[in-house]
Amino acid sequence: METRPVKNFKVKQFCGSGNSEVMSSSLPVLPAPLEEKFPKLPDSQQVSMERELRSTPLIPLRTPFVSNSAVVGPLYSSASGFSSDLHFSSMAPNERHHNGASFVSQSPNVGIPFPSTPSHSGSFCPATSNHPRESADVSWCPEPIQGMLDYSDNITAGNNQIQSSCDVASDDLAKQNEWWTDLMNDDWKDILNETSASECQTKSVQPATQASPSISVHQLQIHQSVPSHSGELCAVSNSSPAAIAAAAKPRMRWTPELHECFVDAVNQLGGSEKATPKGVLKLMKVESLTIYHVKSHLQKYRTARYRPDSSEGASQKKVTPQEEVSSLDLKTSIDLTEALRLQMEVQKRLHEQLEIQRNLQLRIEEQGRYLQMMFEKQSGISNLKAPSSLEEPLTVSSDQTHSAAKIELPGKSRDESGTDPNGAKMSEGSRQVGDKQKTLEAESCNEMEANIVSGSHSPSCKRARGPDGESLTPMSALD
Amino acid sequence: MKFGKRLKQQIEETLPEWRDKFLSYKDLKKLVRLISSTNPSTEAEMAFTDLLDAEIDKFNAFFVEQEEEFIIRQRELQERIKRVIETFGPGGSQPSETEYAAEMGRIRKDIVNFHGEMVLLENYSSINYTGLAKILKKYDKRTGGLLRLPFIEKVLKQPFFTTDLVSKLVKECENTMDAVFPVVAREQAERGEREALMAAEQSIFRNTVAALATMEELRKGSSTYGHFSLPPLTLPDADLLQPFQLPSPIPIQ
Repeated sequence: METRPVKNFKVKQFCGSGNSEVMSSSLPVLPAPLEEKFPKLPDSQQVSMERELRSTPLIPLRTPFVSNSAVVGPLYSSASGFSSDLHFSSMAPNERHHNGASFVSQSPNVGIPFPSTPSHSGSFCPATSNHPRESADVSWCPEPIQGMLDYSDNITAGNNQIQSSCDVASDDLAKQNEWWTDLMNDDWKDILNETSASECQTKSVQPATQASPSISVHQLQIHQSVPSHSGELCAVSNSSPAAIAAAAKPRMRWTPELHECFVDAVNQLGGSEKATPKGVLKLMKVESLTIYHVKSHLQKYRTARYRPDSSEGASQKKVTPQEEVSSLDLKTSIDLTEALRLQMEVQKRLHEQLEIQRNLQLRIEEQGRYLQMMFEKQSGISNLKAPSSLEEPLTVSSDQTHSAAKIELPGKSRDESGTDPNGAKMSEGSRQVGDKQKTLEAESCNEMEANIVSGSHSPSCKRARGPDGESLTPMSALD
Repeated sequence: MKFGKRLKQQIEETLPEWRDKFLSYKDLKKLVRLISSTNPSTEAEMAFTDLLDAEIDKFNAFFVEQEEEFIIRQRELQERIKRVIETFGPGGSQPSETEYAAEMGRIRKDIVNFHGEMVLLENYSSINYTGLAKILKKYDKRTGGLLRLPFIEKVLKQPFFTTDLVSKLVKECENTMDAVFPVVAREQAERGEREALMAAEQSIFRNTVAALATMEELRKGSSTYGHFSLPPLTLPDADLLQPFQLPSPIPIQ
């Protein structure tokens, strides 16, 4: 079943020990430790391990939770394909309004910083469905769903975050994009030499039934159709029931909505001092919330309420509250306010930069996976020399990429480096900084060319050049 | 070694209870060195991956716990503001300007510190991720290995790296700030800067400045730029940090 013992071994390691019983199953180990940590959902809500059913359970999964005022938010580690969609979708809520058909036209005010992953995820999915995948693939499958569910509420909030950080981010990103697209060329050979195919396999999760170009968009729509419940129980899917055990200390992820529900229950019981964990648990009526969760949360809650000063951070108070009041004259208080304001500015700055950095990191990894996948596809048919035959699989894949998958080969060389014909594509890509999606596709396409044997045939990558006003005529061969 | 030193510096300057929650970069590096490149030993590799997993669990546990506390505190802060407005505010039950001003002053400080802590948690996530990426790169280089890509993908989905909720809380905090902070004239702002310099002594603020400086440093450029490296960081207001940067205790080579 596993043709890559090394990789499987490592997967096993990552999952931790004690999963031997799961290992014996035909399905990979990864979901197992999660199962140990999370209570098992009712079967109807379990995400099936079958790849085909990957996304279909999402809808039925959602409905049972509508009746709950809040649901336990899961801790999870999800597979790359979907969760990356999730991250991107949570950061690019404007996508939500695009019905998956084309991600080319991103909302203008989103601008640069956010990668157009949904299109990529869409492209990944169908593209790999043609190729046989190893069983290890399945290990990635269950998690994405949970990831999606978990962040449903964040998606709505994501809007504001993005808008405000966009402006600052755009300039940074413009330079950053140019910079690293230039660097990518040589290093891809290293990556492509890696035989690990795990990233690609996440794409195999493709739900044949869910043909939507972007699973994330689809799921976003689903999320909007139901009241946004902050947490979703982690639907840890595992075909092996034996591995599922309610662990003594399951890690749970709280959300503001869930906390709101908690506070309501506590207030109903007469306040944080009077309320008991058992009572709160009963009142909340949230599935899979254990008394342990409630207990520790209640403890934290009590601490926060009755010692607000000490719980507000470890800042050294230079002036005690009493002094502050008595010695406070107008000037001092204004100075203090300004000091705080400045501190806030610095913090805001750090926050922005962290967001940008994180987006970049996600994007970089996404790019890596995409290229890896494309290369694998390519190497799968590398025996065929005729350009047309090469063209075919790519056309197929690009058809399946609902986004502007038509990537056009730039005919003119812009780059001085004569030895590297793909340098032109790189700088080409960098011009498209404003439209990440196209850039990514172009670059990946270009990278593929770079690695195609002998370079005699080039895949016809067709890129829609909207902003550049260039024609969309496909070019079947590199110059 | 630059990252290692920077990480160490960050850890030293971080809030005390966070100190042991960061990545054990040095230990992981030692393990990588133990792995011989010619004779791959599954045992050494296992030790490495085991430690990695343990570290990730550590991050997740800490991060989620902090996140939970932030959720609680954020709500309490909102409640507190409401109470103060309702009690001491103009239309409140016991309107009192002095009391209102005093309470609001405290609240402002708390908001800013709360905001700072949350941002520092994001920074925590980021620094640990960076460390993981680096150590995985070293590992792969050493073993000719295949661990990095799949592993980093797993990491991307880990709770400690999915900081959307914290980010959302930060934004909410900033919005609350705007509502709570009065509009101040310019000359007062200048006076405030001197105060801010004193504020730099406070651990949260100091930590924030250090975090920004670290980010800048880490992304300044290295000999091992690859396609997975982040581009150099250019802070738009480069002068914003200058007055606040305290001399580094560890000279960075």
